[in-house]
Amino acid sequence: MSTVSIGGLSKRYGATVALDDLDLELGTGVTGFLGPNGAGKTTLLRALATALAADRGRLRLLGLDPAVSGQRTELRRRIGYLPQSPGLYPQFTAYQLLDYVAVLKELTDGRRRRAEVRRVLDEVELTDRAGTKVRKLSGGMRQRLALAQALLGEPQLLILDEPTVGLDPEQRMLFRSLISRLGERRTVLLSTHQTEDVGALCERVVVMNSGRAVFDGSPRELIAVADGRVWLSTTAPSGSRAYWRNADGLYRTLGDQPEGARPGQPSLEDGYLLLLGASARMGAQR
Amino acid sequence: MTGWHIDAGLLADYDRGSLDPSRVMAVDAHLLACASCRARVAVDPGWLAGNWAGVFDAVHAPRQGALRRLLGRVGLPEHRIQLLAATPALRWSWLSATAAVLALAVAAAYLGQPGARASDLVFLVFAPVLPVLAVATAYGPPADPMHEITGTLPAAGPRLVLWRATMVVAVAVAMGLAAAVLLPGPGRYAVAWLLPALLLSIGSLALSTLVPLATAAGLLGGAWLIVVGGAALAHRESSLAVIFGGTAQLCYLLAAALAVAVLTVRRGRFDPGETR
Repeated sequence: MSTVSIGGLSKRYGATVALDDLDLELGTGVTGFLGPNGAGKTTLLRALATALAADRGRLRLLGLDPAVSGQRTELRRRIGYLPQSPGLYPQFTAYQLLDYVAVLKELTDGRRRRAEVRRVLDEVELTDRAGTKVRKLSGGMRQRLALAQALLGEPQLLILDEPTVGLDPEQRMLFRSLISRLGERRTVLLSTHQTEDVGALCERVVVMNSGRAVFDGSPRELIAVADGRVWLSTTAPSGSRAYWRNADGLYRTLGDQPEGARPGQPSLEDGYLLLLGASARMGAQR
Repeated sequence: MTGWHIDAGLLADYDRGSLDPSRVMAVDAHLLACASCRARVAVDPGWLAGNWAGVFDAVHAPRQGALRRLLGRVGLPEHRIQLLAATPALRWSWLSATAAVLALAVAAAYLGQPGARASDLVFLVFAPVLPVLAVATAYGPPADPMHEITGTLPAAGPRLVLWRATMVVAVAVAMGLAAAVLLPGPGRYAVAWLLPALLLSIGSLALSTLVPLATAAGLLGGAWLIVVGGAALAHRESSLAVIFGGTAQLCYLLAAALAVAVLTVRRGRFDPGETR
């Protein structure tokens, strides 16, 4: 069942098109948005989080229309949003910050609010840092705290803009485990540059470029885009095509088969790169 | 470690909570040192969790500072105090800067030539602008680093803007009035800045429905400084009498009422999700 319905959504910033007549239907589980910088991922997530209004198009989130003031407020009670650069008050402790956000989430009953603050602190494993000021937390802890504020009130729709950026491998693992758990019973939308995150977490992946969805399918289907188009050779391919040398000392090339190359095992990243190359060529022809 | 252990009867009384405080303390002291007796104490996980949560909240809940106590005495509910206490313009650094500007203005009035109105004018120039600066730093980027998050929360938007603006204007005006009492000479000018301050503050909010709040405050505050500051520098008593005169005050009041009307009609613009 669709929890997020997007129809003809468009947004411009001056002459720049951020979203270009976008159509998508999304449901429960984790959906990943991949795409280069400026592809429109953040604009889309901000529109879904009600942080900005689109110029044109239709949005229905959890059955509610964010363009209607009353429904937007109701929707805000049911969503959690982690922005790309979550500013947090540095002088607040982790507990105080969550308590403050909980008030803005209309948890006005003190007992219930404090229980909810303890719950999310526990969920992101920051209970022992409850009394630490934000400015004294490490980058990873701050990111976990930012995620904790999004979890307040048990939102049905969770919108996470690059949640794993800047995290070390251990913290990323913690995030992945948390997000996959959350996606079992909610709609989780996350944007990322990390194809490994998509492969590890998402049942569905949407690749965006120039404000449009150029791919919408499972991670397996995105890998299949690179079937028969990944090549390994012992010498550097001739010509101007892009290639790189991998850990085995072999040259990995995407696209047409270089002379003397043998087929390689395609990855999600290969599919993504080939898709973006094709999409860029299509954009140039348009 | 001792050879003595708590007998079954004493332990049952301890579990029931029927011991007097001195015997409870004695049993507690023994339990701390004796693992075998500790293992015999009945444990109620619900009771333990409740106590732990209470202690945790008591340790970590926001401290009752002077501002929170004051707001509580005024009758504001606890959750409202939480929102206002996060206002950037209510931090000690900002309040100290406001107090310093007012103190300088009062000092200038005392140190100026006797009878020269320009000495009082330093106060009149700056006092109405301070609430405007407070409003400019009460909400939204760049003053509020959490704006991107708070803008998407159900209790944010116009309600939060107006609560915070009201609070910071009230604090700035109270500080200005306290400084005005200290001004030398007749008190006419000591209150003459109040309506201009109100107009500039509400006007900044109304204008911020068109341009960013900092720009709106800069435009109105800057215009005030140019007009009144220019008159003060030129020592033009007559223009100042007009600027702070009865007719001008009435105009300030009417303009403030107009700004309130604009603010009411366009308040939806404080919601980032509102269609432009």
